[in-house]
Amino acid sequence: MTRPTVIRAAGAGVLVLAAALFPLVFTNPTVTNFGVVTLIFVVVTSAWNIFSGYSGYLSLGHAVFYGTGAYFLVVAAKDWNLSGATIFWLVPLAGLAAAVIAVPVGLVALRVRRHTFVVITIAFFFIAQLSASNLSVTGGSSGLLVPVPNWAPATYNNPFYYLALIIAVATVALSWQVRRSRFGLQLRAIRDDEDRAAGLGVRAMPVKLTALVLSAFITGMAGALWVYFIGEAFPQFVFDPLFDLAVVLMAFFGGLGTLAGPVLGALILEPAQLWLNLQQSNGYESEILFGALFLVVILFLPRGVLPTAAEYARAWNAWWLRRKSGSPRVVAEADSAGTSVRGSVS
Amino acid sequence: MRSLSHRARFLALGTAAVLASALVAACGSSSSGSSSSSSKPILIGASLSLTGDFSADGQAFKRGYELWASDVNAHGGLLGRKVQLDILNDNSSPTQVDTNYTDLITVKHVDLTFGPFSSLLTAPSAEVAHRYGYAFIEGAGGSPLVFSEKLPNVFDVALPVANELDPFVNWIKSLPAGQRPATAAYPMANDPFATPQVQRVQSFLQPLGISTVYSKIFPEEVPDYLPNADLVAAKKPQAVILGSTDVPTVASFMHGFEQQHFNPKVFIAAAGPDQGQSFLSAVGTANASGMMVPNAWYPGYANPTSQAMVAEYVAKYGGTASGVNADVAEAYSVGEVTAQAVKATGGTVGSKIIAYLHSGVTLSSVEGPVQFNSLGENIKAIAFIFQWQNGKFVQVLPVGAPGSVKILYPKPNWAS
Amino acid sequence: MANEIAQAIAAGILGGGIYALMAAGLTLIFGVLDIINVAQGILVVLGAYLSYVLSVHLHIDLLVGLLITVPAMFVIGVAIYWLFIRPLRGAERTSMTLLACFAVALIIEGVLYREFGSNYVSLTAWYTTSSVHIFGFYLPDIYLIGFGLAVLAITALYLILYRTTFGRAVRATMQNQTAARLIGIDVNRVSAVTFGIGTAVTAIGGMVYGAISGGFTPNSGYDLISRLLAIVILAGMGSIGGALVAAVFMTTAEALVDIWQPEWSVAVFYLAMVIILTVRPAGLFGRRAARAQ
Repeated sequence: MTRPTVIRAAGAGVLVLAAALFPLVFTNPTVTNFGVVTLIFVVVTSAWNIFSGYSGYLSLGHAVFYGTGAYFLVVAAKDWNLSGATIFWLVPLAGLAAAVIAVPVGLVALRVRRHTFVVITIAFFFIAQLSASNLSVTGGSSGLLVPVPNWAPATYNNPFYYLALIIAVATVALSWQVRRSRFGLQLRAIRDDEDRAAGLGVRAMPVKLTALVLSAFITGMAGALWVYFIGEAFPQFVFDPLFDLAVVLMAFFGGLGTLAGPVLGALILEPAQLWLNLQQSNGYESEILFGALFLVVILFLPRGVLPTAAEYARAWNAWWLRRKSGSPRVVAEADSAGTSVRGSVS
Repeated sequence: MRSLSHRARFLALGTAAVLASALVAACGSSSSGSSSSSSKPILIGASLSLTGDFSADGQAFKRGYELWASDVNAHGGLLGRKVQLDILNDNSSPTQVDTNYTDLITVKHVDLTFGPFSSLLTAPSAEVAHRYGYAFIEGAGGSPLVFSEKLPNVFDVALPVANELDPFVNWIKSLPAGQRPATAAYPMANDPFATPQVQRVQSFLQPLGISTVYSKIFPEEVPDYLPNADLVAAKKPQAVILGSTDVPTVASFMHGFEQQHFNPKVFIAAAGPDQGQSFLSAVGTANASGMMVPNAWYPGYANPTSQAMVAEYVAKYGGTASGVNADVAEAYSVGEVTAQAVKATGGTVGSKIIAYLHSGVTLSSVEGPVQFNSLGENIKAIAFIFQWQNGKFVQVLPVGAPGSVKILYPKPNWAS
Repeated sequence: MANEIAQAIAAGILGGGIYALMAAGLTLIFGVLDIINVAQGILVVLGAYLSYVLSVHLHIDLLVGLLITVPAMFVIGVAIYWLFIRPLRGAERTSMTLLACFAVALIIEGVLYREFGSNYVSLTAWYTTSSVHIFGFYLPDIYLIGFGLAVLAITALYLILYRTTFGRAVRATMQNQTAARLIGIDVNRVSAVTFGIGTAVTAIGGMVYGAISGGFTPNSGYDLISRLLAIVILAGMGSIGGALVAAVFMTTAEALVDIWQPEWSVAVFYLAMVIILTVRPAGLFGRRAARAQ
């Protein structure tokens, strides 16, 4: 393995270890509560990125998959009379349910592009939310309750935390694997220029659909885990438009289409939002603040924190090298995918 | 070059993770130890919806809690200790409400908890309180969903939702057959607070021979209800029992009826006309006459503590007595019941308070008597029906109950 | 039954006009600037609040007040474009502008909360509850007024786009920004003014919305934006007249479903859009835009 890969693997390992030890060090349930919610957002943001980040199709309807997974868990837990830790076995099944739903949704939605795609995903979102409000199997607008386990309060959050952590690590690993694979290359080709990619032999629909199904599977699991954590499923909470927007913001903030970007975005923004809400008793102040922060990010960090930070690091390094060698400006740059090197002398 | 950008990447990621956990740990470590010094204030924590879908009610609740707290402190506090409220905003979100109560209990170490607004938020947060042994006294979680959890620590001081319209049914039954409305329409918003009571009314009125000409559930949060109002008006029902949860829904139906020149003899809505000035501004004072709405409380309720509370509210927040929102009274009652439990048990121990409140004791509040059954429902909750009459919001049902005035029937025609 | 259907169709047509009025600005901005202005929902609410302030505090009639709110919202629109949208560049421009508009929406919502709180307010005038008797139906005055204003606004936009020099510059920019620059058009200025016009029309939509809604708060923008987006996309990029057709189609479908199963009427609204887009991905009237830049 090359040196950069070793460094990355080591860094990732340290991070995962730190995350695993986190609830044992910070035992306060409020902190682990933050941890669970943050990890869930890490999962969903990375999953969303696997589809939208890599393919360039912005989905604002991922809550459909989140909600499918959530309702699946609740209904199955009731129907099959499960309780306690056994319910966790429903989580992957819930992911499967969401993946199944993703097929017809994808077949319809992926036929259109850009803005139309965005709005179609929004339409699917509302159809899902309204269906949940009207159908009796989902409890209609009265919602459904999940049987809540009787675990000790001091460590109540921990099982949820660890399951979320496992799913998060698996998701990032999957994202990394997709990136390095031919499949990932095809996705990125579609993102850059779909027609050209098709001309070069990339079968766009199956590729896009596969990415969507993968993304939906993970998102469904996250939804199921969340609903078990909260204990209730109501259409307006399970299908929450602001949830989708938060995910998009986190992915952007961290760096759309990168590996670590969505993780970073979720790690920074979700605790920040939870914390802000705890500090402010006037909700509108946090809204204004959030909007302003958003704008700052968009105007000054348009490619997200991670790519911009990497750019700065590169520029700084080039400047440093120039100073050291005292030679005329030789600037060699590699872009973040490492696939091309441009050089110029001035 | 490449390794540097990767290094930078991981540096950023690691820093973020450390920052995030430090941030979170920082609030984690800001705990206030709870000693048992008698001069320490009693800390009461609550999460309210100050923004988002429930914000109008959440803000009213906040004022109710605060009014109660300032009253208690003005009279020497509770057990000689001052009461201090810590109210967090949950933005009408269940994820936030769980986080808030966990924070209040485990970080801020509050002595007592008050409930949030709405059954939707009460159901999950009651679980959190239960886990830590806190009594959960609330005034806005009366839907069957909350009680289906069968949690021992939940106490709802307000009237259960499904029974809200019982006095209305009783009144219709008491009318001689010739005077009853012959037909009725039951439009309902798709909401757990708009359907159970209306459907219950239908189940009682139909056997009486009042034929149902319209009974449908429509979606919530639609910008205007003209098509639905038109359909109801076309059937010309003599009675309209509207399952609404807010002012816009009622106002939209009323506007639709006015535009269709349709005036029912009886028009009662599950919610909306109880919002005081908000309702009057939306529909016009003259048009409001005859509109009925259920409630357990209203500003003119003939109860001395209630009157005092109303006067104080007006003094503190302005407006008129008739504009005081019922949410304020519900919130205030939560405080009162809590205070009585604390005084009776001599402290703020959750298990003792829970046992006391389940003991069948009858307590008093600005909303009348309070007695809890095993599920935490207030079985002594009084149900009134109110009506707007010439700009005044008056109690009309139950007929003959103290404070009831003559009901305006049939409803006067629209003013225009 | 036939009467109910006819009534539903009438309500649907009129209601569609009002939605088209609210969506007109969105369609214009989308068609010309290729921007999905997700702040449109809250801008409608802002327009409603502006009318509210004029009506309640200064006792100016709602229609007359438009003479003030329309120019005011024009200025606001230009400012939003100049400060937050113009600086965005690059390959991610589509998504960036989407997020920027959302951020602006958040800020406007927060400011409205601060100024007005979360109580429901509504716009009232003598014509908000009266109706005219035509062909055996009662048609609400405010809806007729709203429909009329929609037709006026759409006609005005067409006239601007197709009969003025400025309109020519706008259309040139729409087709090819680089070429437009080459022939001397100040693309930035044109874009800013277009955005301003779109927001100005929204002031009218806001007034009508406030009058028919029965009550609104700063939170009301969310329910609106999704409907408006659906209408604009169904109409097809840049088709302003098409927005009227699409809006009427969707609201009439919704009103018809209300007759039998009202709980599904809103779902039908969105389902109709999805179905049509499956068959005609470019929208009902969309041009297959091979657009440069």
